[in-house]
Amino acid sequence: MSWSDDTLMAFVDGELDDRERARLTLALSADMALRRRVSAMKQQRRRVAAAYAPVLDEPIPDRLASLLQPPAVPVAVGPVVDLDEVRAAQARRQRPVSSWWQWGGMAAALVVGVLVGTQLDWRGRGAGPDLQDGRDGRLMAGGVVGQALSSQLASEPVPGAPVAVQLSFVDKGGSYCRTFSTKAVAGLACRQGGQWAVQALATVEAGPEGAVRQAATALPPAVLEAVDKRIAGDALDPGRERQAREQGWGR
Amino acid sequence: MPRSLCSLSMADFSPPQKVRDEIAALLPPLLPRLRRFGRTLARNREDADDLVQVAVERALRRTEQWQPGTRLDSWMFRIMQNAWIDETRARERRGQTFVAEEEGEHVGVSTTDAQIDAIAVRRAVAQLGDDQRAVVGLVLVEGLPYKDAAEVLGVPIGTLTSRLARAREALQALLAGAEGTRA
Repeated sequence: MSWSDDTLMAFVDGELDDRERARLTLALSADMALRRRVSAMKQQRRRVAAAYAPVLDEPIPDRLASLLQPPAVPVAVGPVVDLDEVRAAQARRQRPVSSWWQWGGMAAALVVGVLVGTQLDWRGRGAGPDLQDGRDGRLMAGGVVGQALSSQLASEPVPGAPVAVQLSFVDKGGSYCRTFSTKAVAGLACRQGGQWAVQALATVEAGPEGAVRQAATALPPAVLEAVDKRIAGDALDPGRERQAREQGWGR
Repeated sequence: MPRSLCSLSMADFSPPQKVRDEIAALLPPLLPRLRRFGRTLARNREDADDLVQVAVERALRRTEQWQPGTRLDSWMFRIMQNAWIDETRARERRGQTFVAEEEGEHVGVSTTDAQIDAIAVRRAVAQLGDDQRAVVGLVLVEGLPYKDAAEVLGVPIGTLTSRLARAREALQALLAGAEGTRA
């Protein structure tokens, strides 16, 4: 019998049912011309696949990889975030309430040397020059965190920065407060006496490849609770946030 | 009094969020294949990656349209195919032409026979029409079954197989011609 190109194509593409495939296989064993037709089709399929295979080994361009860096969820990042939504997202993730003030968990952050306070009695442990003393036993954000809190805008996330700032608001005492996160910790700091006093701090898991999480949804529950307790009104919109920065976060 | 975290009920575990998380987790390993499919549709790297970018952004915005448990690659290919059609029409309106990658420049002394063959094949594919390039990409390159490929393109299986057969014939002719000139 004669075999149509369509049938041979289906054979090569693995689309024939068992019975047809068995019949064709039998026919191939006795028909050299048929074997040639099938082998030409197989070879073409292999050639085309091979021609595009190297694409799989190319590095993924940053602009594509960055689309999927957590959170891939397009939540509002910045001062306009809805806190209820943030809390709900947080709860959905069912992350256990983070190790609040547990020094074990803090160790990683302290090695990085971003946050220090007199409570930790860190002096004499080789603290870096950018670390600063807190007063009255309070924990103050210094170094890169302090700089980020003073300069970065939540409305303008800086990809790749060591510190992310997610929310800015005015607390019930009238001071500016801001949330932040690094690879190891996330916290809330409020402006007190010209410094950023840390109100809440918790450990966080870094994003893939150690990226700092940019979105407010990634903040640990302990930090969100602290925000909730202190916030007066809504988070600052981008305009007010910029204005606050220009005024040095003083009120 | 603000709603405390403890008062959240199961109702707060909204499926859209879960689906979105699932998609976001499944997509990174798919990126190499999406880029490869893009290369069959779009003929050059920049356009192909633009296409992947648009498709990923659309996918993350329309997560509710994906049925968990179904093939995410097929869904992404469909989004890419539709995005490509949109792009083609937009460029036609603007009177813009498509530029195929000029691969000859990359051929050097160390280029292997396999690489030369790959370039010849990609050039031949680039000369096919949009419909034929899509079936070549889905079936011959991505290895999708006819049924899945037909679903991606939104055509009956008969249409898919006839496009595939014509694409194969055209490729065969183009490559035979290329070999003729090389010899």
